[in-house]
Amino acid sequence: MKISQDWIREYVAVDLPRQELVDRLTMIGWVPETVEEKDGDLILDLETYANRPDTLGHLGVARELGALLRLPLLEKDWPVAELDEETAAVADVQIAAEALCPRYCGLVVRGVPVGPSPEWMRRRLEAVGLRPINNIVDVSNYVLFATGQPLHTFDFGRIGGGRIVVREAKRGETLVDLDGRTLALEPGMLVIADESRPVALAGIIGGQASGISESTRDVFIESACFDPIGIRKTAKKLGLATDASYRFERGADIGFAPQGARMAASLLTQMGGRASRGLIDCYPRPPKALRVRLRLRRVAELLGVVVPEEFVVDVLGRLGFRLEPAAHHAWRVDVPTFRVDVSREADLVEEVARFYGYDRIPPRVTPVDSFPLAANRSRERLARIRQALLGQGFDEVINWSFADPEREAAAAGGRTPVAIQNPFSNRASVMRTTLLPGLVENAAWNLNRGLEGVHVFETGNVYYWVDEKKHREDLHLGLLSTGLRPGAGPSGAPAEADFFTVKGAVEAALEALRFDPVVFEERDHPSFEPGSALAVLYRGQAVGFVGTLRAAFTAGASVERPVIAGEIDLSALFGKTPRPFEFVPVPKFPGVVRDFSFLVDRAVPYGDAARILGRLDQPLLEGFELVDRFAGPPVPEGRVSLTIRLRFRHPQRTLVAGEVDKAAQEIIGHLKAALDIQLREGIN
Amino acid sequence: MATLKDRIEEVRKAFEEAAPQAGDAKSVEELRTAFLGRKRGRIMLLFEELKSAPAEEKREAGRLVNELKVAVVDRLQALENGALMAVRPAREIDLTLPGRQRYVGRPHPLTLFQEEIERIFLSMGFAIEEGPEIETDYYNFEALNFPPHHPARDKWDTLFIKGDLLLRTHTSPVQVRVMERTKPPIRIICPGRVFRRETPDPTHLPMFLQVEGLVVDQGVTFANLKGTLEHFLRALFGEKVKVRFRPSYFPFTEPSAEVDIECLVCSGRDPDCRVCGGTGWKEILGSGMVDPQVLKNVNIDPEKYSGWAFGLGVDRTAMFAFGIPEMRYFYENDLRFLRQFGAK
Repeated sequence: MKISQDWIREYVAVDLPRQELVDRLTMIGWVPETVEEKDGDLILDLETYANRPDTLGHLGVARELGALLRLPLLEKDWPVAELDEETAAVADVQIAAEALCPRYCGLVVRGVPVGPSPEWMRRRLEAVGLRPINNIVDVSNYVLFATGQPLHTFDFGRIGGGRIVVREAKRGETLVDLDGRTLALEPGMLVIADESRPVALAGIIGGQASGISESTRDVFIESACFDPIGIRKTAKKLGLATDASYRFERGADIGFAPQGARMAASLLTQMGGRASRGLIDCYPRPPKALRVRLRLRRVAELLGVVVPEEFVVDVLGRLGFRLEPAAHHAWRVDVPTFRVDVSREADLVEEVARFYGYDRIPPRVTPVDSFPLAANRSRERLARIRQALLGQGFDEVINWSFADPEREAAAAGGRTPVAIQNPFSNRASVMRTTLLPGLVENAAWNLNRGLEGVHVFETGNVYYWVDEKKHREDLHLGLLSTGLRPGAGPSGAPAEADFFTVKGAVEAALEALRFDPVVFEERDHPSFEPGSALAVLYRGQAVGFVGTLRAAFTAGASVERPVIAGEIDLSALFGKTPRPFEFVPVPKFPGVVRDFSFLVDRAVPYGDAARILGRLDQPLLEGFELVDRFAGPPVPEGRVSLTIRLRFRHPQRTLVAGEVDKAAQEIIGHLKAALDIQLREGIN
Repeated sequence: MATLKDRIEEVRKAFEEAAPQAGDAKSVEELRTAFLGRKRGRIMLLFEELKSAPAEEKREAGRLVNELKVAVVDRLQALENGALMAVRPAREIDLTLPGRQRYVGRPHPLTLFQEEIERIFLSMGFAIEEGPEIETDYYNFEALNFPPHHPARDKWDTLFIKGDLLLRTHTSPVQVRVMERTKPPIRIICPGRVFRRETPDPTHLPMFLQVEGLVVDQGVTFANLKGTLEHFLRALFGEKVKVRFRPSYFPFTEPSAEVDIECLVCSGRDPDCRVCGGTGWKEILGSGMVDPQVLKNVNIDPEKYSGWAFGLGVDRTAMFAFGIPEMRYFYENDLRFLRQFGAK
């Protein structure tokens, strides 16, 4: 909010150099976002706080400065030239919705010639960025920006029957507001009505029909207090935000309403008007004054510094609190009505701290007498996975949790996405159910910018409805690889990524968890090309997929080359218990290695051979690996040559050739029986 | 006394005697320093002398010194080329070829920066806690002392799901959940994604990363808040960084403090600084003593326990630390951008 230094000086005799004023305001919480000099005045645009409506006028800011600089707040008289007629005799105010309007004050000022305001008032308003309109409207703006109390002025001649009824709107009622909009009203919205119809939307905006015009002679000044929640609901519903609603929804000073009306009347009588005698003040249930206990000990306990008693008493007094001493260095503190933010001891401690100075509180490291024993397991597991993937040459990305509903449908995960009621964009109106579209987007972005390959992963949540009522968010790992792999040296051409790049990365990542090994199984999935995807199974449960993404899916993001990707549900895995770590002694005796090459039908996958070898009851067989796979001449059509290395070892002694031969023959016998293999010539 | 002209001749002779001795790159470089070195090079000294030479000598001498300099520069260049071309034995392996590296992927800069923050707090005995990103109004607002329909909610502009479900606007709900299930002492940080209904611009995005922290124990004071956060900021930005605490307002803390550090870009010297706007300070985090109502909401007695909390935007802090002008760079995932930070 814009504050004029000259205007502030009407309330407190501040005299600080510009930079010092800025710094000192900042250090009690009022940050000037801009500072400009204008016609010899200094205009500060102060950041405001939702809990401090009292500072939405110059008086409140002046009070803060007075407390800071220990200067008295200057009071002004507002003399009113009165007529003989009683206000109550000409105007009748009724509050029919007490909960929404706890206090309503008003009076009539007759015979004000409508015209421009005096020069001094125009200058004040212009200084804070307002456009002067006419003397009557300007007076209500002046009072608002001087004190924070919003007023409304009606053309009294247009208030039917001189009756002011504060009530909820009736179904079907409308109001044409000051800006010419027709507002559709409904019950729950508070209006000011005359004997027949609404003339203003209470606390938000006036009606056009009862507004001040050049023909206005008599003015009704309204200075009221409206319920903050009611104002906020109505303003939000109608999409209105005014200087008045901004203040009322934060909480107006219920104690100040009469003074606001008097101030306006005084200003209008200075311009030639005469006010009706006596103020109407409808205040059916004045609330009990708020009293808060403050203990000096508590100040020290919360702040960590001993603030002198005299300081506490002085500063709170200057801020408008009344302190009554109680036993044991404590006070009963009366909270002034303009401080709607203060209701507990902690609120008072903050006031003391602000003015004592945060910079005078000594910094002390938080004492620690115990440390957490358990690490955050899921984060630790995540760190292992990330490390493994970085090691595999994948770069990490972070994508939006939002998704485009169309792209999401194209990814065909089949889950019901969580929709956002008020998205910031239609292309980000649901939460993602899969990480794949984001990764494809990353591939497109980078390929379009000249990169020859993209190998990336992301870990993050996906979100979906399990049923009508229940949603889930699961931590997923997504990874994608396409094009040349980075980092080839001078003698090697960079390698093209393929299916096994991603499969290997998934294996590496999951091995880092030390869980039971996952098993891959051919299985189709709508995101992947038919026949080119594997399900990742952990103890029989599918926890993810790897495969070649469906061309239609990647083409949607304008990626025309093959893309290999995978997605793993880490939430499903992280709940499991890893294998206990056991140390295995390094073997003492040498092992023997035998390579076997054989031909097998092309339809037989290596996985079948591996499964048979893995299940053998052959104590001397320590392990095996595939070392070569070859098809084409001289291998006959329809067959493929596999070379498997068998590793033999005995834990307690050196092996003899005969027993290795025997074991090898048995193993080959098993493979022959199961897979119809044919040993290649020239290999023993 | 020898004239300037004589001394020029002297330097020329000296160079011509020395030049044939320079056989390798190192001695050529020494020769260059001796004659052309910026401070003590003999030709440079001649230029110095020229400044105070009498006017009638100046023109002629000036021409001579310049000629000498050009000649020396040419000769040195020739010597240098010769030194490189000197006969060397043929080699099987060209050792100057670039080394062979295995490419290791790069972590995302936000992960890196977040880990740096986590490391500092872990070293102070904090634990890391996480929670759901789809939250309820209760955990995101009400438990944190935001009354329904309070204008304070405007600053946390919210994306709603349905019913009372929403996307969390901060990681504070994790603090509430931890306080509900744990007894003090509590010392945690809560990193994670948060969401706001923001129209994207250079410093605002509808999703960003946050790290919040919470301490609850007996006898915890504002002085502890200051000391711990000052330590954190020095560990993150350097020992000498200046930190200031100034009053602010958050519904869930009382008293509340905004924490600024001095502008690393201009140190307050540039009135038009793009980063600090000329104030010399950059807002880094929000903090405060946990509001007694928040403690009551989780059944912790505010008379017995007190606490402090803070929150910081990882993205904006990283932007400030690395001088990144636009927040969206983090989410475009352009590998040419991301890969730079692995070397940080």
